[in-house]
Amino acid sequence: MSSASKASRLGEEIWKTRIEKVNAELVVLTYGTIVAQICKDFENDYAEVNKQLDRMGYNIGLRLIEDYLAKSNTMRRCSNFRETAEMIAKVGFKIFLNVTPTITNWTGDNKQFSLVFDENPLADFVELPDDGRAQDQLWFSNILCGVLRGALEMVQMQVETHFISDVLRGHDTTEMRVTLVRYIDDELPPEDD
Amino acid sequence: MATLIPSIACLGVIGRNNNPLHIQIFPSYDPSTNTYVAARTSLQFHLLLSSTLDVFDLRARRNAAAGVGLSGDFGLLHAVDDRLAAYGFETNTGTKFVAVVDMRGRRVDGRGGGGGAGGHGGGGQQGGLTQGGAAAAASSVGLREGEMKVVFKAMQTAYIKLLQNPFFDPDEHSPLSGTGGKKITSKKFAEDMRRIGENWRPGVTAL
Repeated sequence: MSSASKASRLGEEIWKTRIEKVNAELVVLTYGTIVAQICKDFENDYAEVNKQLDRMGYNIGLRLIEDYLAKSNTMRRCSNFRETAEMIAKVGFKIFLNVTPTITNWTGDNKQFSLVFDENPLADFVELPDDGRAQDQLWFSNILCGVLRGALEMVQMQVETHFISDVLRGHDTTEMRVTLVRYIDDELPPEDD
Repeated sequence: MATLIPSIACLGVIGRNNNPLHIQIFPSYDPSTNTYVAARTSLQFHLLLSSTLDVFDLRARRNAAAGVGLSGDFGLLHAVDDRLAAYGFETNTGTKFVAVVDMRGRRVDGRGGGGGAGGHGGGGQQGGLTQGGAAAAASSVGLREGEMKVVFKAMQTAYIKLLQNPFFDPDEHSPLSGTGGKKITSKKFAEDMRRIGENWRPGVTAL
């Protein structure tokens, strides 16, 4: 368990010393407006909205990983997926959102885990539209899935991420499932035939 | 013995266009049947809230003329009869909060610590009177100045929370065209209003 406490100490320290803070309401309102606008643009096709949020997150993740590596001063790879999970929860989420989701529900093969969010700053004040579908279809914070997917892809991990519950939908917890698909080896670019 | 203390009979939120945004009615104690029933019908409460609009308008104009500011606590707007009284608050954006108080709306049992700490606080100041007498005295003189402040503060907080919800579109509810507007449908907001209406009693400092 020493790696876990090391990770949380590291996250705490970076958050205190190396992170510029912004007003939380600015972030919350900006993100909320974006989601609401996408819902409008896609005429409340929530499956499509989820996809768009995930794609936006993916693009953020591709860039954010660089910032993460620089700030956390990470020089080496995580030795296994469990360590990766620790770093995501206790350093990544800590320094960018100041929350520390709980890692739980590992599968036996150590390739799947859940992140349970006790608090979700993106969803403060939010109440999903009462149209009878949003409650079942929209994953409001789906951007986070994309961020993780994008960021991990840049460090040679292909993962699949999705939410399986959200307090906004009336569930008890907000839980994201992360599955390691494979480690991406340094592949040769596909040849032109 | 039981004593009757003031309670909230109705909370109304009124939009910039004088359109009803949210109205919630709370049952008052009815001594003849020993149950809690609404003091007036829903229509009567609507009319009562409508009648406060003129007072808001008048006070706002008077305040503007006197240069004492545009918004805030308007205090007692309208004493309907010896039981009901309407208190009001207006924000700078023109949203109005109205609380209709029933001066004998809630029954508090017995003496000592049993329930209704606020009511006993009021009674305690007039030590010589019986509790029933204290309540009657309170109802005849109305509420103390500033007693409703905590209600409006809580209502405003709930309204701000509502506005922060990205799926809430303020324009839909108070369009700039100046007429009409949809009602608030948020469950959280309704729940907040319910909590405020049910928990308020004289002397409460936080809701």
